[in-house]
Amino acid sequence: MIEIRGVWKTFNQPVLRGLDLTIPAGCLYGLIGPGASGKSVLIKSIVGLMRPERGQIIVDGQDILQLSELELQSFRTRFGIAFQNNALFDHLTVNENIAFPLRRLYKNMTEQQVMQRVADRLNVVSLSTFGDRMPANLSGGQKKRVGVARATVANAPILLYDEPAAGLDPVTSQKIFDLLKQEKGDATVLMVSSDLDRLLTVTDRVGMIYQGRMIFDGTTKEAQESTDPYVKQFVHGLVEGPL
Amino acid sequence: MSSRTIVPPASRVAEPSGVESLGAAILDLAYGAREMYSVFVRTLYYSVRGKREPGSVVAQMYEIGNKSVFFVTVVMAFIGMIGIYQSGTQAKRLIPDYTLMGAQYLQLLIRELAPSIGAMIIATRVGAGIAAEIGSMVVTEQVDALRMCAADPIDFLVKPRFLASIVMTTALIIWICTVMFCSGAVTAWSFFGVSFRTFFNVSMVHYGDIIVFLTKCIAYGAAIPVVSGYCGLSTFGGSEGVGWATTRAVVNSSLAVVMLDLVISAAGFFLFFSK
Repeated sequence: MIEIRGVWKTFNQPVLRGLDLTIPAGCLYGLIGPGASGKSVLIKSIVGLMRPERGQIIVDGQDILQLSELELQSFRTRFGIAFQNNALFDHLTVNENIAFPLRRLYKNMTEQQVMQRVADRLNVVSLSTFGDRMPANLSGGQKKRVGVARATVANAPILLYDEPAAGLDPVTSQKIFDLLKQEKGDATVLMVSSDLDRLLTVTDRVGMIYQGRMIFDGTTKEAQESTDPYVKQFVHGLVEGPL
Repeated sequence: MSSRTIVPPASRVAEPSGVESLGAAILDLAYGAREMYSVFVRTLYYSVRGKREPGSVVAQMYEIGNKSVFFVTVVMAFIGMIGIYQSGTQAKRLIPDYTLMGAQYLQLLIRELAPSIGAMIIATRVGAGIAAEIGSMVVTEQVDALRMCAADPIDFLVKPRFLASIVMTTALIIWICTVMFCSGAVTAWSFFGVSFRTFFNVSMVHYGDIIVFLTKCIAYGAAIPVVSGYCGLSTFGGSEGVGWATTRAVVNSSLAVVMLDLVISAAGFFLFFSK
């Protein structure tokens, strides 16, 4: 379970303004909101890559804002994350990219176990013959799938996906969302996406963030039927409205 | 009912005064220096205690050393030729005796020219490369991905460059010294008729010069990747941010070389040459 209480994060101006959010364990939670509303900042704050000035981020009973960078290093083994820009290491092959978290975090694994796990992940994302390629030689959709393979390689109990289908065509996008749902298992998943048509087909709950605050939190059905002018406009993509 | 004009917040913010701007600049400088010091200390720590990545130091030695050889050789050979030609022309007007030209030139090379000018030339190529590579990794979230895998970017990115740079900057500067001396010898023979036997004179080089020379090589080799790595890691924004980081890396690395030069030269003077 992830509990976020009164989180403030400021760059030149406040991005998160006392944000509160609870993501139940095992839930596939979709976070939506207009651009620059603080979604990516929230994801990076949850894993401790960014430090909010105020508030609490409690993951499985532990306030991660109280942890030092060294403590965070071991705490981050609970998370698998797929970044908005894929963040594949340019100088490593696809195999090495996916193996990287295992080699760094699970030093008791043998090289054979690591490569077996990598092969399994590549098979799941339908890229089993791409292991020796460099990221520069992959298409946008393939990079996203490698990102998903790397995020799920360690069987982390919490998975975070930041715009997992950004810039992809509708078919590839749907395939990515289906893959994410299929790979969820028992994990708690937080997914940020602007592709609402597809996001809402896989989520259990949805929250909407606007100007650094949560303005909606409910089931997917409640989001689709919401009469809140902000939520209604955003979910249905209406031109007229307060946004 | 009385009305009150509400002034928009932006217009209420006064322009900072000159003193405030100066204060802010000094605070920024102090913050940057502290952060850079922190990067240096952590790099030293990881050099001793960090995880060994097989081949990463060797790969960086190739990037920093081998790939710089052609550039530094050409640039420094020309600087060597120009230096000897200009000093020979001036000497001709004052004391037309070239007996000690090679000996004086070698002393100047070892004390100052080869390490300091050479390091600045290396900084332009190596510093820019390090900052651009790490900066690109920052803006594409690769550094965040490293941190998610318990890989400290200092350990994974800066440390291999630091170790490689210490070795290869030293090697390059020794090579630069040789190239400048040889190109100077050819120029002295061509324009002033100084024989190679006369020019190749090491009588004015003191053992203290060698110690100062090697100290400078190691200090510059350590400073360039630390300064450039810090500039790369503090990149923000997109490609524009990478451009700024690269520029800052070259400027700050060159400044670091000049400042270290002053400190080491002064220390060397008091230790070896003041008596």
